[in-house]
Amino acid sequence: MATLSLQHIDKIYDNNVQAVYDFNLDVKDGELIVLVGPSGCGKSTTLRMVAGLEDISKGKLLLDGKDITAAPAKDRDMAMVFQNYALYGHMTIYENMAFSLTLRKENPNVIHKKVLAAAEILGLTSQLNKKPAQLSGGQRQRVAMGRSIVRNPKVFLFDEPLSNLDAKLRGATRREILLLHKRLQATMLYVTHDQTEALTLADRIVCMSMGHVQQVGTPLELYDSPDNIFVASFIGLPPMNFFDVQVREGKLVGANFQVALSDKEKQILRAYEGKTITLGVRPENIVEGPDVKVSVFSNENLGMNTLVHGYIGGQRGLRISAKLKGWANYKAGDTASFSFTRKHFFDKETTNAIRGDK
Amino acid sequence: MTAEERSVQRDRMRFTKNSLSSNLAIIGILFNVFYFVSLYKSDVGTYYYTILIGGSIVYNLIFMLAVFLASEGVKNYKQSYSYLLLVIGALQIARIFIIPSQAHAALTLVNGAEVPVMEDAQFIRIVVYLAVSAACLILSALVNLYKCRELSTHMKSLETQTA
Repeated sequence: MATLSLQHIDKIYDNNVQAVYDFNLDVKDGELIVLVGPSGCGKSTTLRMVAGLEDISKGKLLLDGKDITAAPAKDRDMAMVFQNYALYGHMTIYENMAFSLTLRKENPNVIHKKVLAAAEILGLTSQLNKKPAQLSGGQRQRVAMGRSIVRNPKVFLFDEPLSNLDAKLRGATRREILLLHKRLQATMLYVTHDQTEALTLADRIVCMSMGHVQQVGTPLELYDSPDNIFVASFIGLPPMNFFDVQVREGKLVGANFQVALSDKEKQILRAYEGKTITLGVRPENIVEGPDVKVSVFSNENLGMNTLVHGYIGGQRGLRISAKLKGWANYKAGDTASFSFTRKHFFDKETTNAIRGDK
Repeated sequence: MTAEERSVQRDRMRFTKNSLSSNLAIIGILFNVFYFVSLYKSDVGTYYYTILIGGSIVYNLIFMLAVFLASEGVKNYKQSYSYLLLVIGALQIARIFIIPSQAHAALTLVNGAEVPVMEDAQFIRIVVYLAVSAACLILSALVNLYKCRELSTHMKSLETQTA
């Protein structure tokens, strides 16, 4: 397996549109890195640059310490799995999986052993004589993965491989990818816009927006300590609630509500006394309590949890979503009373997180 | 070749087509095309204007259809198509003694002069075309029979292992 290093990588297209700005990342051997972000943020472009399908405008790409910035795709020893599977419809599954090795003129007996081994890993042994059209979406994606596995590449690249699958199949295939990673201990780069995939699969997540890396960290770091408002809003479902509040005498004072700060929070916000900041509260960090009065307009029971949506301070107030434990029975027009168990603070000007220690 | 390599080679047949037999059958068709093009382009007056040449044209059409069908059959290790190819291969040999041999021995009038219907060179060429076509079809059939037997033995051994 391999280490991968992306150093100060830029992508500027011929029409001077810049898709990626100063991308830096060191991928450890056997690590699964997920690039996540909204459409057009540059994550697929970055992956394609790594694969050699796009030129790198500026910066360096190192594989096992060797500069492969200008190397053609075929010499990079990487395998890519695409969203649309890219299988040959006229070939059987066996032939599809063997194809890349056949092109390299490997010994047919060796190819056979590799294909059978990959099919065994992916549970495709009974499907080898079928054509792609006879398989479900999930099975086709497994074939695409199998085609990568037989090559035994240094790095696996996945470009939104689950996007074409329905929700149930997506969950199952996601677990298979995770098991595959554990089994192969391979270095993998995975692109998705789905934060659930990112959180469940990644050893580390790279969160991107508008071509810039917003934060690199473990899933827990991104969820628990987002570096800025973008990361805080992108990671987590339902998304974090944001309110403009003023820091005033140990309290946060917002429109129609105020909440007290703990000693630790006061310490963090010491430099912001009298200033307006952005308060972020995850819906799951909201409980029934005395601090904030909310006019409920929607109550969604999910079984284990209830999503309650409402406005702070009446119908034209600030919108808030709470994810309460258990079964709640609010009706539209009811007044609920909430407290916050965990707060995130962001500088209103820079949108960066306020952590006190920085 | 070691026993293990031989076993892997047999196992591969479960997932790969018998392209050798299939391609040989297609080559058999190709040489038959060379044969009839070489024959039909002959310009020797009215010698060939007989029911025999009409039958030959119909047979060539049926031949191409049947051998193409058989090539697809042997590609998928269908044993019965081997027998069809063996029969058609034998007929290709027999055909040497029908039109080509008769034409080679015959003379015809062209512009008042008596000329041989089929020169030696054309006869040899036509015999080679038919012989190669026959050889390809028979070889295709034999290879398929051998592979079918190998595959059948291998499948039985797999079933025994599973049981």
